[in-house]
Amino acid sequence: MMIKIEQEDNSLTKGLHQFFKRLLEMQEIDALFLPVRLKDSSSIMPSLVTDPAQIENAVPLSPAFPLNSGRMVSRLSYKESGRKTAVLLRSCEIRAFIELIKLKQGSRQELILIGIDCPKALTLSDYTAYMEKDPLEDDAYIQKVFSEKNETLNGFNFSSACNTCENPFPVNTDMNILLHGVDLSNGMMVESGSEAGQKILESLNMQQTSMPEKREEVVTQIKEVNSKANEAMIEDITEKTDSISKLNAFFDRCINCYNCRNMCPVCYCKECVFNTDVFYHQPVQYHQWAEKNGLVKLPTDTVFYHLTRLAHISHACVGCGQCSNACPSDINVFEVFKSVAQTTQVAFEYSPGIDENDPPPLSVFNEREFEDIVGIK
Amino acid sequence: MGTFEPVIVAFVCNWCTYTAADLAGTSRLSYPTNIRLIRVMCTGMVDPQYVIKAFLEGADGVLISGCHPGDCHYINGNYKARRRIKLLKEILPRFGIEKDRLRLTWIGASDGIEFAEIMTRLNDQIIEMGPSQTRLNKAI
Repeated sequence: MMIKIEQEDNSLTKGLHQFFKRLLEMQEIDALFLPVRLKDSSSIMPSLVTDPAQIENAVPLSPAFPLNSGRMVSRLSYKESGRKTAVLLRSCEIRAFIELIKLKQGSRQELILIGIDCPKALTLSDYTAYMEKDPLEDDAYIQKVFSEKNETLNGFNFSSACNTCENPFPVNTDMNILLHGVDLSNGMMVESGSEAGQKILESLNMQQTSMPEKREEVVTQIKEVNSKANEAMIEDITEKTDSISKLNAFFDRCINCYNCRNMCPVCYCKECVFNTDVFYHQPVQYHQWAEKNGLVKLPTDTVFYHLTRLAHISHACVGCGQCSNACPSDINVFEVFKSVAQTTQVAFEYSPGIDENDPPPLSVFNEREFEDIVGIK
Repeated sequence: MGTFEPVIVAFVCNWCTYTAADLAGTSRLSYPTNIRLIRVMCTGMVDPQYVIKAFLEGADGVLISGCHPGDCHYINGNYKARRRIKLLKEILPRFGIEKDRLRLTWIGASDGIEFAEIMTRLNDQIIEMGPSQTRLNKAI
């Protein structure tokens, strides 16, 4: 089922506000989780909203992407709350959340997942600069980004995760808000993706419509462009890190702050091995390393940390790019992860965040598989 | 410069391959001393980071060896190990650590002779590959 959301006062954002308000006023839905411009500031942060009057501060279409909200939705849903929440997420946030559901760190039971054609995001540092230098109104932003399809916005960089994203269109949701391939001057569209979603859309009693003809063509086109950018990015980063000495150089500014891990929505351990005593070395250990090699850089275990994280979670990497955003040393962690994730995901024929019944590859096995890697002849 | 003596770290499971090594010893068979055995209870407990750490600190080869499929003392630890080795074999070559430096075998408790033979073969093959780049360029 597909319904139409009209513009309100010539504004897409206000049109969406109306839609969200109607959702929140429904008896079945107790709260809405979506990006909101906070009071007395210009910061846009994901927020849990219960008062319909607050919806007018919601900013569903912006280049702000302070964190992957998949992790926040996991906090809202890992136990029952007795309340139904509709959550508005980007595609990579939904995929991250689905991965967390597989690890029993979240549940869809009390949620209505609303996907939206991704409005792209600036890198966190560029977003801050952009906001200081007369940013576009919410609507002007989306019009510009959808019509021009540039890799930058008024000179500010979109996250390379967004420019190389092969899945900017959410799947496996209860409903999706469609913007691409839709004549926006005429409003937006919402497509149901599940029975629960359909029921809600039906009870809203809004004007029904059908899939615009142009949609499929536009979707394929965007995927192709991004996929091409992705290939180029992977080729480039692989060349930059294809030996241990190059890898050492790539990560040499790493200060072991673990921000990339903390912001990674699929780095799921409650307690990370890198926070344990295993890495609280004896002082003599550092001396031994130094004596063996003439010098040892501190902090130690940086490349080790990144390689271990690659081994532990690259199969689940949804490519949101928040690891690069989180890095205070400006290391492009994301590109290394994406390039390795591509390899490991192909090796295990695994697509993270698509199907919640597809188990994480390292949690299962078949008796007869990968027999070619066994043995020394 | 002398001949290249590689460092090979072998994670062997308590129930099969370690027992085979023990049998090789009591049978007075010899195998290259370049191979350092680390006994673990099961290959299923070898976290990828153990392997990564060995390579980053300069190991020229890493072997994981456990019970034959179906013989695992803990039912299925060796199957899990196989997936992890598959994973590492995808990741490590991307950063210049060749696929063949990381090996996986199944050596049963009664295969003392086979154990000594396989270790000799592994040592020869690693010598042929030459030193690992992490030997000169440690990533601590």
